[in-house]
Amino acid sequence: MITTWKEKLADQIDPALAQEIDVFETQIELRRQGKMEEKIFAETRLRRGVYGQRYDNGQRYDGVRTQELQYPSADLTKGPETLWDAPGMQRIKIPFGGLTPDQMDVLADLSEEYSDGILHVTTRQDFQLHFIHIEDTPLLMRRLAATGITTREACGNSVRNVTACPLAGVCRDEVFDVTPYAKSCARFLLGHPDVQDFGRKFKVAFSGCKEHACGLVTMHDMGGIAVKRMEDGKERRGFELYVGGGLGAVPHQAKLFDSFLPEEELLPITQAISRVFARLGEKEIRSRARIKFLVAKLGIDEFRRLVLEERKVMPEDPRWMAYLPEVRKYQEKPLKRSMSLNGEERPEGFEQWYETNVYQQRQEGYVVATINLPLGDLSAWQVRGLADLARRFTGENVRITVEQNILFRWVSESDLPDLYRELQGLGLSDPGAGSIVDITACPGTDTCKLGIASSRGLAGEIRTRLATKFSEMDEAVKNLRVKISGCFNSCGQHHIADIGFYGTSRTIGGRKVAHFQVLLGGQWEENAGSYGMAIGSVPAKRIPEALDRITERYLKERKSGDSFQDFVRHIGKKELRDSIEDLMTVPPYEQDPSYYTDWGDPREFTMGDMAAGECAGEVVSLLQFDMAAAERLVFEAQLQWDDEDYSKADELAYNAMLQGAKALIKTEFLDVSDDPDTLVKAFRERFYDTKLFRDKYAGAKFAQYLFRRHQSPPSKANKDDARRLVEEAQLFIEAAHACWERVANRQASDPSIDQGVPSPTGG
Amino acid sequence: MELQRLGVKLFVENPSSLEIRSFIPIFHSWIQRQAIEGHLLIDIHDYSHVYRGPGILLVAHEGNFSMDRAEDRLGLFYCQKQPSKGSLRNHIQTIFRTALQACRLLEEESELEGIRFKTDEVLVVANDRLFAPNTPETFQQLQPVFREFFEQLFDGNEFTLNHRTDPKERFSVTVHSPHSMDTQTLLERAQRA
Repeated sequence: MITTWKEKLADQIDPALAQEIDVFETQIELRRQGKMEEKIFAETRLRRGVYGQRYDNGQRYDGVRTQELQYPSADLTKGPETLWDAPGMQRIKIPFGGLTPDQMDVLADLSEEYSDGILHVTTRQDFQLHFIHIEDTPLLMRRLAATGITTREACGNSVRNVTACPLAGVCRDEVFDVTPYAKSCARFLLGHPDVQDFGRKFKVAFSGCKEHACGLVTMHDMGGIAVKRMEDGKERRGFELYVGGGLGAVPHQAKLFDSFLPEEELLPITQAISRVFARLGEKEIRSRARIKFLVAKLGIDEFRRLVLEERKVMPEDPRWMAYLPEVRKYQEKPLKRSMSLNGEERPEGFEQWYETNVYQQRQEGYVVATINLPLGDLSAWQVRGLADLARRFTGENVRITVEQNILFRWVSESDLPDLYRELQGLGLSDPGAGSIVDITACPGTDTCKLGIASSRGLAGEIRTRLATKFSEMDEAVKNLRVKISGCFNSCGQHHIADIGFYGTSRTIGGRKVAHFQVLLGGQWEENAGSYGMAIGSVPAKRIPEALDRITERYLKERKSGDSFQDFVRHIGKKELRDSIEDLMTVPPYEQDPSYYTDWGDPREFTMGDMAAGECAGEVVSLLQFDMAAAERLVFEAQLQWDDEDYSKADELAYNAMLQGAKALIKTEFLDVSDDPDTLVKAFRERFYDTKLFRDKYAGAKFAQYLFRRHQSPPSKANKDDARRLVEEAQLFIEAAHACWERVANRQASDPSIDQGVPSPTGG
Repeated sequence: MELQRLGVKLFVENPSSLEIRSFIPIFHSWIQRQAIEGHLLIDIHDYSHVYRGPGILLVAHEGNFSMDRAEDRLGLFYCQKQPSKGSLRNHIQTIFRTALQACRLLEEESELEGIRFKTDEVLVVANDRLFAPNTPETFQQLQPVFREFFEQLFDGNEFTLNHRTDPKERFSVTVHSPHSMDTQTLLERAQRA
């Protein structure tokens, strides 16, 4: 009798993959027995997509106190401060988002048997399963492997999922279909020896065109945009290759590496880039280890030179060219003959859905139908239902998108009414795909260890509010994109939204209040053509109002044909900030406690009952006043940057950091000098050397932003560097807020610590 | 057969009077006092936006509780996650005891304005497609154990077991009894069964 999935699926799994999973299972056992070092095991499991999740350090604030979660395996860990029994997350890579119905069925089964019955689509064409136990992961991996899916290198310092435009192959504007290139690149890089020694993750994307959002190439570590060129009367395919982009805390636009990289050179150059990154990329300081920092440090010209040198000395690999015949043969097969939508009876709601969720393919009579998933979630039952619909309407032509939706491609247009009826039955017929109601959100505080505020809670609230008035909305507002991250790390891609938000917190009267920083003017089109900039931090509970005000103003004051980016430029960020400034005020807890909880979570947003003594209260007020000045400076820096005065922007951003540092120093002594050397020295001694400024997860990177700028001011600030410094200054100020919260918490929990009566003379 | 992962759903008798998100603060209070015996309650997840989905989820180390809305029927679904010792009969008893304990706690919540759970219909799910594929053979194998347990649970009164046969869904049976009783009585019987 068969008693394990390993036996049952033995002849369905690629032997190499099966062996990898066996090895991982052994590693789990070794770690359980204490025979494998915790840090090594952590990176090992991450490279299998087995990720930590919120509260996995065994502590959770329950609204009254911080509970110690007493797991059966007690102190056994699966990584630093990560308890063995704590439920975690499994990330599942879906290269270019391509799925088959059989894979969907298996994913549904796994979500029920090992997770919580929900599949979550991420912003990088992955799936995530939450609340997974580590012992179950090899079983889950085997069942995925039997359908051709690997979780290898879904996390960790490795090449993450290779993404691509979800319309690739059917797009009306693409140069050529990038799908087979994305597929081959993913396969080539998976487990490649040259990508095993990175200091950080590496994300790759492909686009078929330059104008649309497409694959969002410019925000990736490496990305290729399809281009063609005529040479000697022959058409050649290649890529406009970009390198060194990325969002994260400090976003970077990728730099052009080559305006035409011939397709034959795609894999060797990718390999050469990987080798240079592995060799020269930062390994010690995690926050500087993405390739964007290496490219910025070396400059794109020197980086390119090094890569081309590397390319010359690399041993030939037959795989570089072997995939090209496959590329030429690659063709998706529609399930059914194409037919136009003619006299079919159209169900109620169909027209509105058709307007927003249906895209006409370049192949006549075929369309792409977008299935709009609220918060990127769908249940096992829905996934199985979709798999059956795929078998009926589209065959194997399903893709998941970075906007957390599902696409059915190659649907015969005449089938749309039937498809719509079936989607209604699954509760998946919401209109508004790609519109203001189709909000992208990272997991935030729901499950992410780094989440500060509830991105999903806010997204759900905004979605509910907007959905009721969606049909009456002006097209200009309908077409805006809203994206939300739970922290500054940008997993919700807030930088590339028209209106973006990322979670922060503020301490008001000794209690924490969830806030979101508001960013305006990011560009989704042109492969994430430009990034939005912050205009101010608003309490989470006032964000829906802030959104309403901004969109109403856009509607009233935009000039004919203005995009949202144009509108932001001509109204100006200052004016827009002014229009929401009154929303930034938080009333005292006693007056309105609702501000002190986050969306969807009734727990008070504090870390415990904090003593708000008179003395401490005065100091906090002083600090808040000084921090507001710092925030104002960074905002002015943004305005200068907008006006292309990069030197001024640089100077103001630097001054904002100095002001933030000074605010902290003044909590210890009031007569602090304005001299930058003195300020930086005092900050270093009192907050950096003492590790008070050190964030538990981000380490000391925010302090380094100040030190670096102080030590090496630019001789002439350029656009990119000034932009980076403005972003860094914003983060430094957030870190200063967080630092003060830690200090205040410490003081509150230990009365023996000096309560911070400021000394006028230093000391 | 080493089937250990089982689930049970008890349906709410009066679902129309309930707002799904009203369970969120209640589950938080359960975590505060670790209200379910033998369970380490960890976290809550709001899936109210998912159509006919798990609704509001209370995650415990040993199993998940959810105010589930599958098939448009609100009910408390408890699904065991951790393997436990003992026979299949013991596992069934354990999941019923746990689920009924949770139902009782909900019925005692004043904020829920008289929520009541049906006791004449329950759904039992085998959450393991390896040991319990949804086939007639599995039903044949499991039926005797199920019958023995439900005879005791319903105190010898008649009941029916209906195998739900969709091969893509997990193995499950619906148990119907013409006799209804309160959840406290059923809980006491589950503890003795």
